[in-house]
Amino acid sequence: MTHNAVVIGGNRTPFAKAGGPYAQASNHDLLTAALDGLIARFGLAGERIGEVAGGAVLKHSKDFNLTREAVLSSALAPTTPACDLQQACGTGLETTVYIANKIRLGQIDSGISAGVDSTSDAPIVVSDPLRRTLLKANAARSAADRIKALSRIRPSHLKPQAPSVNEPRTGQSMGEHQALTTERWGIDRASQDELAAASHHKLAAAWEDGFFDDLVTPYLGVARDAILRPDTSVEKLAALRPAFGGPQGSMTAGNSTALSDGAATALLASEEWAAAHHLPALAKVVDAEVAAVDHPGGDDLLLGPVAATGRMLGRQGLSVADFDLVEIHEAFASTVLATLKAWDDEDFCRALGLDGKLGTIDRARLNVTGSSLAVGHPFAATGARIVPTLAKLLHQRGPGSRGLISMCAAGGQGVVAILEAV
Amino acid sequence: MTVGDVREREVERLERVPGMGGAFARAMVPSRSKRVLLPERAVTVGGVRQDADRLAEYARVCGFTLRDDVPPTWLHVLTFPLHIHLLGSSESTVKLAGAVHTSNTMTLHRPVTAADVLELSVHLEGPRPHRRGALVDLVGVIRVDGEVAWDGVTTYLASGARADGEPQRAEREPFEPRTPHARWRLPGDLGRQYRRVSGDPNPIHTSRLAARAFGFPRPIIHGMWSHARALAALESRLPPSYSAHVDFVKPIALPSTVGFVTSEADGAITADVVSRDGAKPHLRMRVEGRS
Repeated sequence: MTHNAVVIGGNRTPFAKAGGPYAQASNHDLLTAALDGLIARFGLAGERIGEVAGGAVLKHSKDFNLTREAVLSSALAPTTPACDLQQACGTGLETTVYIANKIRLGQIDSGISAGVDSTSDAPIVVSDPLRRTLLKANAARSAADRIKALSRIRPSHLKPQAPSVNEPRTGQSMGEHQALTTERWGIDRASQDELAAASHHKLAAAWEDGFFDDLVTPYLGVARDAILRPDTSVEKLAALRPAFGGPQGSMTAGNSTALSDGAATALLASEEWAAAHHLPALAKVVDAEVAAVDHPGGDDLLLGPVAATGRMLGRQGLSVADFDLVEIHEAFASTVLATLKAWDDEDFCRALGLDGKLGTIDRARLNVTGSSLAVGHPFAATGARIVPTLAKLLHQRGPGSRGLISMCAAGGQGVVAILEAV
Repeated sequence: MTVGDVREREVERLERVPGMGGAFARAMVPSRSKRVLLPERAVTVGGVRQDADRLAEYARVCGFTLRDDVPPTWLHVLTFPLHIHLLGSSESTVKLAGAVHTSNTMTLHRPVTAADVLELSVHLEGPRPHRRGALVDLVGVIRVDGEVAWDGVTTYLASGARADGEPQRAEREPFEPRTPHARWRLPGDLGRQYRRVSGDPNPIHTSRLAARAFGFPRPIIHGMWSHARALAALESRLPPSYSAHVDFVKPIALPSTVGFVTSEADGAITADVVSRDGAKPHLRMRVEGRS
């Protein structure tokens, strides 16, 4: 028996820059805050939910059960199970797909997908030789053995290693990878700055309209996304120095996402459960796909979503032009622009094994309330931010409205999904 | 315990929360007086803003999730300098040295957020007779926008002091040994960690020498840490407004491993911090929701 999995709504903390107002908050604190806001909004206190799936990209080893622990700190019934999932920046969308699939199969009738990241509270890792020495000393049976093991520590071992987002196989950061893609696809500086400025302006307008009033709950004195710069402009952004791609590079701190802290959640359920709880069904999860590219072999690191989109649309008999709204995660402005170019490139799409190019979209349908450049991008949280945002936008447009989500992720992966208003 | 009579007392208004150095030293000088004399006045300080970083560290040390609403035990910590201010004054014959924190009651009348600006008041009540001395109550009240948001009664036993009357029998539910369902491992430096966030500089929590001077073989953890940790363990079970009463039965030496056990009946939660095997209680807590 299959069911429709519908998005009922969502809740997140405002997002903020790393080291800012959430500097003292852990992933656990942030995720609990986002969950408790969701519970308050939909009257779920004391309720046993089918399952909560969440995750963080930067996670302490002591947080092996991060999501379950947050559930226990929240007002949900302590009998609510949870799991941690992680698929880099795609985490918050992958957790949504996981929950939606279980609902569609009838294994659960309600679920919460979530994601959180705190680059302020990131684990500091000790060097590999030091870690091995400490493990050896810990396993030593006698004091003498322990001292012998510890005596092998060298000053060079003591340098702590901050978490890195470098690709292990290429040694390049995500920005450096994207700089190669930017160059390859001929994305110029001006179009990147235009996209970044538009993201800020659209997000600011949505906040002004009260669009986020039922999607965000203030936390630790922050009531709005703290990275948002409503008064930024193409001129201001044009003055910034390149951050990636060398002195001639076109990628700056203004058209790249900032390291951010925040948590997001989405409530999903079967239509029957939503009706029984007198809760609105905004949009159903229609389909999803994950793809990966061979970036160690030279492929564009962040264009994984193109193949995923092509295969999913082929299966659904849809083209990108069939969508009323499109959300492309703004890892970098040039990622969005390269994705749009790749969709419309016959040779590129055929090389991916697709039947042909995916086509073009009306840019007025893209990221209409702003995206990660303006909101910020706490890695695992972004997918769970986009899902309720898009579901609400589609619901406002009326039944049958379709939305596409495309998210790039580290490791050359891409997660995509289709929502449709019910 | 009534807290309403603060208004009728003489009130000493302070510009800011007093520092604890000098007053604490005075409060630690033991009193030889058998007769209990207490300052009559209440001490009040308004416009108190909470330190977000210290609150976050307090939450970490005690095991609370960092939320917009603050733990009620944090509010107790904020009133503590006023306790010391009164006990350190020359009118008080009850001193911290030799006094034992026997019980604590607090009521959270409504959630208090980290952004709320607080008015703190503390006065002393008692003495009440006890079979081993005299009981003295430090009554704290916290107002937000003129309304009482929190009140707390901290009861000290001044050993060897005398108060007129018959000792009241403490109404305590009989302790039934049970297998603990949680185990807390308290590290040796926990007293130091809690001192940093509470500001309570009493050396019996941090120094073996000082602990010995007061008859403890090792430093003991602050009773208010154990109280806070027990509330933190209940976290999501706690209603928005509640009263918590704790009896400090036996101090916990550091480092040590203790047990924790809870039960719920008639809308109240009972939580005991017990010895590792569950045989003996260290702290007994009862939490009742308020509607």
